[in-house]
Amino acid sequence: MTFLQFAYRNVFRNFRNYAAFFMASFFSVFVFFIYSMVMFHPEIERGFLGEVSIAGMVLAEVILVLFSWFFIFYSMRAFLEARAKEFAIFVHLGMSRHQLSKLIFIETMTIGILSCITGILFGFAFSKFFFMIVREILNLAELPLYLSWEPFLLTLFVYLSAFTVISVISIIFTPNIKIIDVLKGPKIVDVSDAYSKKQAFLGIFLIIVGYFLALITTKSSIFNYTLLVPIFVTLGTYFFFTDTTLYFMDLIKRRKQYYWKKSRMLAIAEQVQIVRGNSGMFFIVTLVSTMAFLTVGILSAMSSYTSQYDKLNPLGMVYKGEIDNPYEREHIVELIESLEDNGISYQMTRFSVKRQTSSFTSNPVEVFRETDINHLLFSYNYPLVNLKSGEAMFIPYSEDSIKELKNKVVETTLIENNVQLTINSVYPKMFFPTAIISSNSIIISDEDYEYLIKPFAHYLNLQPGYHLFTFDIPKWMETKEIGVGIHQMVAREYVLNDRYSLPFYYENTGLNYSYILATYSLFTLVGILVVAVFLLASGSFVYFKLYANLDQKKKQFNMLKRIGLTDREMKKLVTRFLCIQFFLPWGLALLHSAFAFLVIQTVLHDVMNLSIVKEGVISFTLIGCIQVVYFFLIRWRYISHIRS
Amino acid sequence: MSILHINEVTKVYEGKVTKRALNQLSFEVEKGEFVAIMGPSGSGKTTLLNMISMVDMPTSGEIIFDGTKPQTLNSEQLAYFRRRQLGFVFQDFNLLPMLSVEENIILPLTLDEQPISVMEERLQSLSRKLDLTAILQKRPNEISGGQAQRTAIARALIHEPTIILADEPTGNLDSNASREVLQLLGKVNKENGATIVMVTHDPIAASFCDRVLFIKDGEFFNEIYQDDRQQTFFQRILNVLSLLGGHVGDFSSIRLP
Repeated sequence: MTFLQFAYRNVFRNFRNYAAFFMASFFSVFVFFIYSMVMFHPEIERGFLGEVSIAGMVLAEVILVLFSWFFIFYSMRAFLEARAKEFAIFVHLGMSRHQLSKLIFIETMTIGILSCITGILFGFAFSKFFFMIVREILNLAELPLYLSWEPFLLTLFVYLSAFTVISVISIIFTPNIKIIDVLKGPKIVDVSDAYSKKQAFLGIFLIIVGYFLALITTKSSIFNYTLLVPIFVTLGTYFFFTDTTLYFMDLIKRRKQYYWKKSRMLAIAEQVQIVRGNSGMFFIVTLVSTMAFLTVGILSAMSSYTSQYDKLNPLGMVYKGEIDNPYEREHIVELIESLEDNGISYQMTRFSVKRQTSSFTSNPVEVFRETDINHLLFSYNYPLVNLKSGEAMFIPYSEDSIKELKNKVVETTLIENNVQLTINSVYPKMFFPTAIISSNSIIISDEDYEYLIKPFAHYLNLQPGYHLFTFDIPKWMETKEIGVGIHQMVAREYVLNDRYSLPFYYENTGLNYSYILATYSLFTLVGILVVAVFLLASGSFVYFKLYANLDQKKKQFNMLKRIGLTDREMKKLVTRFLCIQFFLPWGLALLHSAFAFLVIQTVLHDVMNLSIVKEGVISFTLIGCIQVVYFFLIRWRYISHIRS
Repeated sequence: MSILHINEVTKVYEGKVTKRALNQLSFEVEKGEFVAIMGPSGSGKTTLLNMISMVDMPTSGEIIFDGTKPQTLNSEQLAYFRRRQLGFVFQDFNLLPMLSVEENIILPLTLDEQPISVMEERLQSLSRKLDLTAILQKRPNEISGGQAQRTAIARALIHEPTIILADEPTGNLDSNASREVLQLLGKVNKENGATIVMVTHDPIAASFCDRVLFIKDGEFFNEIYQDDRQQTFFQRILNVLSLLGGHVGDFSSIRLP
């Protein structure tokens, strides 16, 4: 038997021992390969994937690689730890350190190559399936399977080098094996449960402060201290696992009435040991899961935003210009011509809006003419407005404002022209996009509109009115190419100048939508895979840790069985002890992401008038279900290991 | 009155190589007796102990325990049987490292959901008797081997079991600690009337018992009873061992001047 044969037989005859490490590597390769398949897709250059940017995908891929390297490294360490006894026997029989390194290297590479091959094979087999999902999500016409050497080569290169580097690193970092320690059986872990009370409180305090900051975040304050929130919460989480949990356990331990009852004592003492030994792991799992949850949350928020997009933006295009806007004629002609050249049907309405001062609030109010509004409403097929002289109607600026303004009756006078009005109703639907008109806009009858001769005189720097051109376009998604030049002028003005000083403003829903869809697509592609890897990894960290301590646990349960632990109690104990390991970090991660979500929700609500509560709840429930399934899977494996 | 009745127990381990670990072994243990089971390695001592503690079932024969047959119990009932009727002392103590000494001792009561007052009361009297009061709050890795085994004995006694099974309780201890532990077991046997079955290699340990039972290759070999002096009892144990060690008629090296 040559040395190579020995290593080979070691792996293949004990495949069960290597399975966990193999699965971790296999899954990393699998995900990476599918991702590369998308990235190297020939259609992507032809813009088939919408506007998904290659740079973004490459960045995501790099993150994925780094994370999966870390993941493989971690599982490798756990795996080597679990095999310490075996190595000690080899060393005992006279294997030199050099040979041991060689053995570890050959074994790792065998597993590595094997997982690369199977990962790529399975990846290729499943990529059509994944393409179908991507096609559904991104609304693409088709996304055919293709065969090209790039993804294969990239995956092989990345992972073979990864396995080489990782095995070398772990060989270097394997401490000298002391035969005596290992032969004596599993060493007694340091079970001191000392903790610092100060840090215990600091942990809670930091988390609570972080949450509090998150709670009081509003649109205006978001940039002031929101950056502090992740720092506080991260630090807080760290202390939470190193000290706070131990502090709580200690509190429980002091209450003998509770602690000594049933098998609680065993379970809790076990917890202390687990928390003590694995606070670093818990910390990482919490952070990783928080990121995964947030990704899911943001994804679902974006999907709700994109699906609600046309409801929030009923108009295809809007052009708003001041009264003395010199470009008005030129721009409108350009827009109309380009619409007609592209054969897109549209309905244009021109509004001449006058500003007046309301005596009720002594603020400026934007006044629309009934006929103009009806023209637009008619093209929408909405019910028309019919106002008498002296009557006026609010124009809603958001969905919430409809409810607010519904029962409001205002008696006011437009000061400049002394026109008396009673505003006693609100139009029951939104027909302008949110930011276009002021929140103080009303419709008045044509007769009253004729009286508005004297211009607005309240503020000198505010224009007496503006012209608004709305284009109602049924096929609004096709207007991407219309008015790109004007759009760029507007965008440049926004970016370069602090104050918006152009005399016109242009908004193209189709164009904006294409940007949003592109970002959304990118996030989806990246998100799905990252979440899959993160979720799997966070569970696997726990599993590997369990696996490394299996021998010791087996012995312990054997002893407990002798002194009369029933099978049911054993299961209960295992459940409890796994429960904490799983759901403590995940629960905290869920709480973290819930608060992060709250921030996103307040900001989104302020900025875009969008609610993501429903999506958030749905996606969190889904994640919860996946984790419960995962928990039972690992519990099942663990119990069968313990019993064997 | 016999409390444990082993009747023609045979255990065959089936596998690639079939092994007959016990062969029609029969004996009885009286209530309040301190019995040692001796025999060379591979003679079936541990198998026998496993049979008595019901972690393993005999292939044939029966074990009658205080009038009941544990073989007929289901696994749930068996666990309850073990936690109430049996106490265990292991060679490597098997204390749980994450529990303090005190918590290790009351573990069987905790499993049995006894009231806290009972736990505290028994803990107090036992720890006084076994001289553990000073180390109750310590962890197993902070105490000596002798203290650890005393803790394990306390754990085996706390639920007042019908019988205590000890598997090489002195195997990991130095001579002083061994003596201490054995005297303790003897004291428990005398004062509490506890029935103890101890498996051991060590003739000194066996000499603390009322009766020593020898088995060889899974079969009953001999038994001898204690006499007035421990020293002569020890000598007689050695005599049997010398016969047991090899073919009858060989000289045991220990007997040579």
